Amino acid sequence: MVNVMQAQAAETSSPQQAIPAVAQLCASCHGAQGQGIDIIGPRLAGLSAEYISNQLKLFHANKRQNPIMLAMAATVQGDNIAVVADYFSHQPVDEIQLQFRGDKVAISDPFEAIAFQGDWSRTIPACTSCHGPSGVGGGQFPRLAGQQASYLKTQLLAWQDGTRSGDVDNMMGNIALKLTAAEIDGLSQYFANLK
Amino acid sequence: MKLLLLMTVGVLFSVPLQANELSTDPAPKLTVKATEATTTLPDRQTALPSVDKKSADIYLQPAPLTDIPAGDFGDKVRLGYQLFVNTQQLRDKYVGNQLNCVNCHMNAGQQANSSPLWAAYFAYPAYRKKNDKVNSFQERIQGCFTYSMNGKAPASGSPELVAISAYSYWLGMSGLMQQYNLSGPVPELSDAELVKGAKRDDFPMPASITKHLDITALSQLPGRGFPKAPQPELAYSPERGVAVYQAHCQACHGGDGQGQIIAGVAALPPLWGPQSFNWGAGMHRVNTAADFIYENMPLGKSVQLTVQQAWDVAAYVNSFDRPQDPRFDGDVSKTQATYHKHQGFYGQSVAGKPVLGTESYPVFPLKKSLTP
Repeated sequence: MVNVMQAQAAETSSPQQAIPAVAQLCASCHGAQGQGIDIIGPRLAGLSAEYISNQLKLFHANKRQNPIMLAMAATVQGDNIAVVADYFSHQPVDEIQLQFRGDKVAISDPFEAIAFQGDWSRTIPACTSCHGPSGVGGGQFPRLAGQQASYLKTQLLAWQDGTRSGDVDNMMGNIALKLTAAEIDGLSQYFANLK
Repeated sequence: MKLLLLMTVGVLFSVPLQANELSTDPAPKLTVKATEATTTLPDRQTALPSVDKKSADIYLQPAPLTDIPAGDFGDKVRLGYQLFVNTQQLRDKYVGNQLNCVNCHMNAGQQANSSPLWAAYFAYPAYRKKNDKVNSFQERIQGCFTYSMNGKAPASGSPELVAISAYSYWLGMSGLMQQYNLSGPVPELSDAELVKGAKRDDFPMPASITKHLDITALSQLPGRGFPKAPQPELAYSPERGVAVYQAHCQACHGGDGQGQIIAGVAALPPLWGPQSFNWGAGMHRVNTAADFIYENMPLGKSVQLTVQQAWDVAAYVNSFDRPQDPRFDGDVSKTQATYHKHQGFYGQSVAGKPVLGTESYPVFPLKKSLTP
């Protein structure tokens, strides 16, 4: 049931799949290999198929509100959801040096500290406690490492203003609400630069 | 509380303040004073019911990790922290499942009401019914390795137990020093002192702390353990717990309870099955799991489920088989009769499934024997 990113990474060394017709439209903003086109479309490579298909369904349900994606997501329905999700989830991402919780004890960068230790005085858990070592993601938890900073920021803001929702018990929305503007900027930059 | 302080001040009023209590050995007379205080002060154990936890409690606030000093002692504290949040580095050596200490002790063992290490450290040595003897702090931690980590306890005095003890002590002492305005570094203790725990008359506790908190009060700090969840209206039910689990838990812990594995490690922990805690761990008790869940789940939210939901889902999670009770002697009903006279499902059949304990998973299996 679990998506092990390592396993996915291994699969990507096989010859590149041809892009399915239904994913062609996605490629115009997200890149043919889902590598992302800053600031037009975020990177899809490195996200799990489970996550991508769930996001498409959240756009369909208007739980993620974005005028462009609302129209684009509408073009992917039924069985095609799995086709698109499968294709982009198998696209390569650069391997990064993984940092596990505890690798560093005293962390001077305040954003790296939130990423690995959280701030429990505000009941903010470490980002990596769900998004995994270095935020590489898996299953329902999207990869943060190497994602565009502009996208990470707009998403945290979207969680804050309610234009993004649909997670169980509003867990991510609840965390995002506690983050300051400076922390949103800092965390977005921090994860984007993990390449 | 005000009355307590006044009484304490009254008892110790004649003790002159020392200029630098931390750098000197504690004078024996101070220990005697602490003992006197113990007998003069009311027992606070019953004065700290969990229901009051949000009203006036002030929780100990450990110093930030960036304050851990350089040097040998600081290295032990740092290692303790590292082992606590990434216990998987001991997989196959002392750990036999995919859990990390931090899975049940939020915020690296610093969070009040999440069995914080700083409170536990001042509560040992203590008698434990579980093994019918007085346990030092390191013996308590050994129990965690044997049961919660489904592993093998590190030997007494091992670097791992010294490190976890050092980290726990440092959290607690730095918190007390901050609370009572004591400056300077946390006094260093020898390995032999560290592993004992602090609930003993010969523990070197600065007098300016003992004049506020006696040894009993220190062992019952607000925030210790998991506060008891209120009793549910209906008897707990794993059958009702299914719906709670699916709605609130499975997004993180998986429909099959096996957690979320990312980059080879459990980012979110397995709750049952071969990679979780065994049938001897406290968390297999429905009441303990309900206490934990009610207070600490979902992650980062705290107290979101109703009391009934917490109990029902605790029952559901503990109605699956898991690694065998290490005290199992070949007979499930005997093991049940000897060790399981409490709220749990060991030795019982739930929803027509095989009797729990009859198909349990191995104790302390090597990693490669469980992962295909």
